[in-house]
Amino acid sequence: MEILDKLINVALIAATLRTTAPILLVALGGSFTTKAGIFNIGLEGQMLVGAFFAVLGSIWTGSALAGVACGVAAALVFALVFAVLVVSFKANEVVVGLALNILAGGMTISLMKAIFGTRGSIVGHGIVGLPKVQLPGARDLLGSWAPLISGFTPLVYAAFIAVPLLVVCYNRTRLGLYIRVVGEKPEAAEALGISITRVRYIASLLCGLLAGLAGAHLSLGYITMFTENMSSGRGFMAVAILIFSNGDPLKVLAGCLLFGFADAFSLRLQTFGYPSYLVLTVPYVVALIALFALSYRARPRVIAETLVTMRKLLSVDKNTEPGGKNPQ
Amino acid sequence: MSNTPGSPTLHSNAAMAVELTGITKRFGAFVANDGIDLAVHRGEIHAIIGENGAGKTTLMNILFGLLQPDEGSIRLNGEEIVIADPSVAIKAGLGMVHQHFKLVPSLSVADNVFLGMEIRRHGLIDHAAQITRTRDLSKRFGLQVDPTERVGLLSVGIEQRIEILKVLVRGARTIILDEPTAVLTPQESRELFQTLRSFVAEGMTVIFISHHLEEVMEVSDTVTVLRNGKKVATRPTAELSKDELVHMMVGREVSFDRRPRASLHGDVVLEVKDLWARDDRLLPALRDASFTVRSGEVVGIAGVAGNGQTELAEVLSGLRPASHGGAWLKGQNLTALSPAAIRQAGLAHVPGDRMVRGVDRNASIAANTLMGRQHRAPWSRGGMLNWNAINQNAETLIKSFDIRARGPSDAVKRLSGGNIQKVVLAREFTNGADFLLIDQPTRGVDIGAQEAIHDEIMRQRAAGRAILLISVQLDELAALADRILVMFNGRIMGEVAGDDADEERIGMMMAGVAAPEFAAETAS
Repeated sequence: MEILDKLINVALIAATLRTTAPILLVALGGSFTTKAGIFNIGLEGQMLVGAFFAVLGSIWTGSALAGVACGVAAALVFALVFAVLVVSFKANEVVVGLALNILAGGMTISLMKAIFGTRGSIVGHGIVGLPKVQLPGARDLLGSWAPLISGFTPLVYAAFIAVPLLVVCYNRTRLGLYIRVVGEKPEAAEALGISITRVRYIASLLCGLLAGLAGAHLSLGYITMFTENMSSGRGFMAVAILIFSNGDPLKVLAGCLLFGFADAFSLRLQTFGYPSYLVLTVPYVVALIALFALSYRARPRVIAETLVTMRKLLSVDKNTEPGGKNPQ
Repeated sequence: MSNTPGSPTLHSNAAMAVELTGITKRFGAFVANDGIDLAVHRGEIHAIIGENGAGKTTLMNILFGLLQPDEGSIRLNGEEIVIADPSVAIKAGLGMVHQHFKLVPSLSVADNVFLGMEIRRHGLIDHAAQITRTRDLSKRFGLQVDPTERVGLLSVGIEQRIEILKVLVRGARTIILDEPTAVLTPQESRELFQTLRSFVAEGMTVIFISHHLEEVMEVSDTVTVLRNGKKVATRPTAELSKDELVHMMVGREVSFDRRPRASLHGDVVLEVKDLWARDDRLLPALRDASFTVRSGEVVGIAGVAGNGQTELAEVLSGLRPASHGGAWLKGQNLTALSPAAIRQAGLAHVPGDRMVRGVDRNASIAANTLMGRQHRAPWSRGGMLNWNAINQNAETLIKSFDIRARGPSDAVKRLSGGNIQKVVLAREFTNGADFLLIDQPTRGVDIGAQEAIHDEIMRQRAAGRAILLISVQLDELAALADRILVMFNGRIMGEVAGDDADEERIGMMMAGVAAPEFAAETAS
């Protein structure tokens, strides 16, 4: 029990919120494209360039805000390229997404080499991280629970505030409604003179915006550095969450919290001296289990149908069933 | 035929809601519309009638801006206009109810009605106001709907009302309906006609596309007949007889009457007993069906599409498991067999969706006529296909079934719908099967080919086959079937003898009302 107490406490929950933020941001971005009917596998790449250029911008300008802006701009460029290829030229979205992911990985590495002459990571060089926001009065109000709402970087707040905003967007705004219609029934949108192309471009760019913020949070949030392949599969996790949530903001939040918790939990386990290779698999194992649990509901039917098919295959040769005599 | 005596003069422009002049539209070498003139008076119900592929829908899509004409001009209320896209048409007071509804299932009725022109307050969509306005409008025109319900849960008839409301809320004064009754029960059609008359009473104009003679005679003021992309005539409906109309549509006489037949019912070939099945959502779709089909008998299944007919056909052909009960073909229980074993047991299946389950559209006619018997002599020997025999056989079938194609190597996708269906019939009817399961044999098929297909079905009947004919077209069933079973919501509501098929009674049952005197009849 003592170990559990040490493991699960306010600090762990606060860490969960911190680790949830980047995947939540990128998944909410992907929610726009998912709802608009685009399968966006390029989230990973957008996030990665966001992280890289945020660091670059921060070094060049000496300002964290300008760094974030740089990261977002880079992710938007990637989103725009994605949209041009997928929406305008109707290229296969999986191929384009994968290509852009590979491009992002290779580009950040070679730019790192060209600019900083190093491989692996960028540390120091005057990177300015995002400030932590101490909410006034939080400590008076919540005492030792204050870290749950106070002391995060602005992007963590942005991520969680974005959830209700997206709910309102999809239910009460024209843009949100059109994004849903374009994804669910494009021919309805077309018949009403809603431009599918325009709506999908907007959705792709909104996605780039949030993916860029997610990347900036990775490299300027709690650790101010950039490492090779820094997004480490979070974009793909977001894709998995999006498939199962169908892009609904609240379900996305639930999925991201689960993954964030597993991430934070694994970080904590590391400090207890468990082998890091094993510990680092925790979030992915949790994600696999979650996906399995979610799809389990559909399983009984699959099994039932398989059995029926098997029985029929076996009965091909003995055509007459015992009870199958014609009543005539 | 603007010079036909008694036809309205075409020069008083202001009285014309729509005037099309010399509209020509080509798709590659195919001319869909060939110099068509059309004048529609304000305040009339104008029917456009023609066989499938006559160019009706193309013409209306041009009027609504979904297609651009290669030649010709359009005038609305006397003013020339270029309709570059549907938004121009909508602004000009046109509204179109498409054959395939374009509604968003996850949105409410009101959201769908106002989609594209949402009522907003402080930048946010005002759901309450949309619901109120939808309710007002639906009351005014007798289009009963609940504005708060999700569209995905509603029936096709109600979906059509929503489409009409969509058009009304956009202020349409001229409403185009593309085959509006294809998905409706006779009663629902009658309600629709009443609504259309109420539009005309308010000074609006209705253009409706159809290939159903009866409803055109019943509801329209003026008829325009198209054939092969050309206009044949525009005439006041009152001056026309049904025979004249058919003659203009097909260019020759076609009999819709009941086919003559000798009574030759033999032994029971198919016996279905207490059969239940679930649909893809696992809900019961076929409930407690019991009936028999004898050799030399055509048993018809009537019903509005989606009332369990598809599931019945799928269970009988082994494509869907039965959840209870059984079906015995010459004593073998089909529900325990694979599709291949069922075919061996003596089933031939003409599927309802021929492009999906009937043919491989990219393969040749020869390959399509081979399918299902490729392992048997003479089509294969020692594990190798004998293409000589296959092509010869295909050649014979092309002749005997009058398939209009260049030869056995022609790809099926190059054929018209009617000829594709003939390929399916040619394969299925020459299998020597005792039981023919025929699902929607003439869907999307022109009248000429329809006749040929009906002839072929009657020939199979005369040859002593047991035939189960599923169709949503009542006239088809009335012409061919010895007995008609009517399905509603997965149940067989009752049975009518083919020679006194009464549309009223069948219609009632299609809508789920089992007339009491009728239930007594079936029981006896």
